[in-house]
Amino acid sequence: MAMGFESSKEQLKVKTEIRCMTCDYKIVRDFQQGDFVPKIVGQCPKDGGQLYIAGIYAESTAQQKK
Amino acid sequence: MGLDIFGIIALAQSSSSSNSLGANLLYFIIYILFLGSFVLAFFPGFQQRSQLWFISRDVEQKLSMIENYLKDSKSVSEKLLKDKGIPDPKAFLNRVIERFVIDPVSIEPTDIISRMKLLMRSNENTVREMITRLNPNIDPVSRSQIEISAEVTMALNQIYKIIRHYLLMAKKLNSIMIMYQLQMVAPIYVKLAEAYDKAQKVFLQGIPVGDGLGPLVASRFLMKASHKWTVSQDTIAGIVEFEQRRLIVVKAEGPMATVGTPGEAVQNVIEKEEGKVARIITVDAALKLEGEETGSIAEGMGVAMGDPGPEKIAIERVAVKYNIPIDAVIVKMSMEEAITEMRKEVYEAADKVVDYVKNLILERTKPGDTVVLVGVGNTAGIAQ
Repeated sequence: MAMGFESSKEQLKVKTEIRCMTCDYKIVRDFQQGDFVPKIVGQCPKDGGQLYIAGIYAESTAQQKK
Repeated sequence: MGLDIFGIIALAQSSSSSNSLGANLLYFIIYILFLGSFVLAFFPGFQQRSQLWFISRDVEQKLSMIENYLKDSKSVSEKLLKDKGIPDPKAFLNRVIERFVIDPVSIEPTDIISRMKLLMRSNENTVREMITRLNPNIDPVSRSQIEISAEVTMALNQIYKIIRHYLLMAKKLNSIMIMYQLQMVAPIYVKLAEAYDKAQKVFLQGIPVGDGLGPLVASRFLMKASHKWTVSQDTIAGIVEFEQRRLIVVKAEGPMATVGTPGEAVQNVIEKEEGKVARIITVDAALKLEGEETGSIAEGMGVAMGDPGPEKIAIERVAVKYNIPIDAVIVKMSMEEAITEMRKEVYEAADKVVDYVKNLILERTKPGDTVVLVGVGNTAGIAQ
């Protein structure tokens, strides 16, 4: 088991990924207080299905620029 | 021109003679100092004492960094306690972070697990009761935030006190060997303290951490579950149909920051099924070795769980009782990645693990079988 700390200096931005339950619609926005998986957050603009928070993750600002 | 060429030469000569006298004096002082330090170096203990002094300065600097993280963590915890309506937050926090659990007697190992379980559960419940006594209307999410925040402050307090203890002891005993060891480990503990400090803020915002990989995978299955119930303390189970198999999925109850009691939950589920379970599959985050990639997936046998004992052994015992094979699927990450915001690589691995687990079920079980899937880890920010 490692005690890796290599990423301690990287700048992270937390994102929330929202998906539709019935189609492949997906959007990513900045994390907001109160977000959790799999919270229902509205209706899909594509097919009217329920939108839910599929995940909350952090990516480094360097990753975002790519 | 006030000075002719001869005047300048004469001035330069007089200034160079006074300069050379000053330079000679300087060289003499440096020579004496060099000679003095050379002689001192041969005095018994001088070198060691000077080394001790230099190393202790380095360790003191590291200790002060840890102290800053501790102070920061304390102020975050106190603010949280104040916001959640706990009277006299400072006194409450000091009381909680100085708590301890005494290890059960290990010289006679019979029933050590049940003794350990009793002590750990009683400690958790006591802290929980202390919080609810001071604010009876507190909601479970806020209560779990207080618990985890106090736990982080407690861990930082422990690190700080232990490093300080050995530093003072090394100074007191003039022990270069203790100081060397301290100098070697202090940077690791500074990094650990930094990770804890970051983790506290992440937990308080309700952001899933890397260790939430297991609960995230379980949550993907539980979204389709028709029936969910509380199977043990802070733990949820649900039934899902998959390719003519009955899948019983277990995870900690989110979105609170808790790991639940997955061992007891699996034991209860399997006993309720009278042992008629074809397979137990555990999914967890695992610490990677340096050089391994974050988010890489591996599988093996056994209970994937970073538990001190009671929860893990509960699964092993019930599996042995009914002869049920236990599979483990792990996603690798560093210590810091496990306790701070879930990285994109880990998040992307979750969906891959869902497919991995589905394939594993199809490969190793047959239609009509019952499988228990356990998503192990802290479920902060991940409900079901």
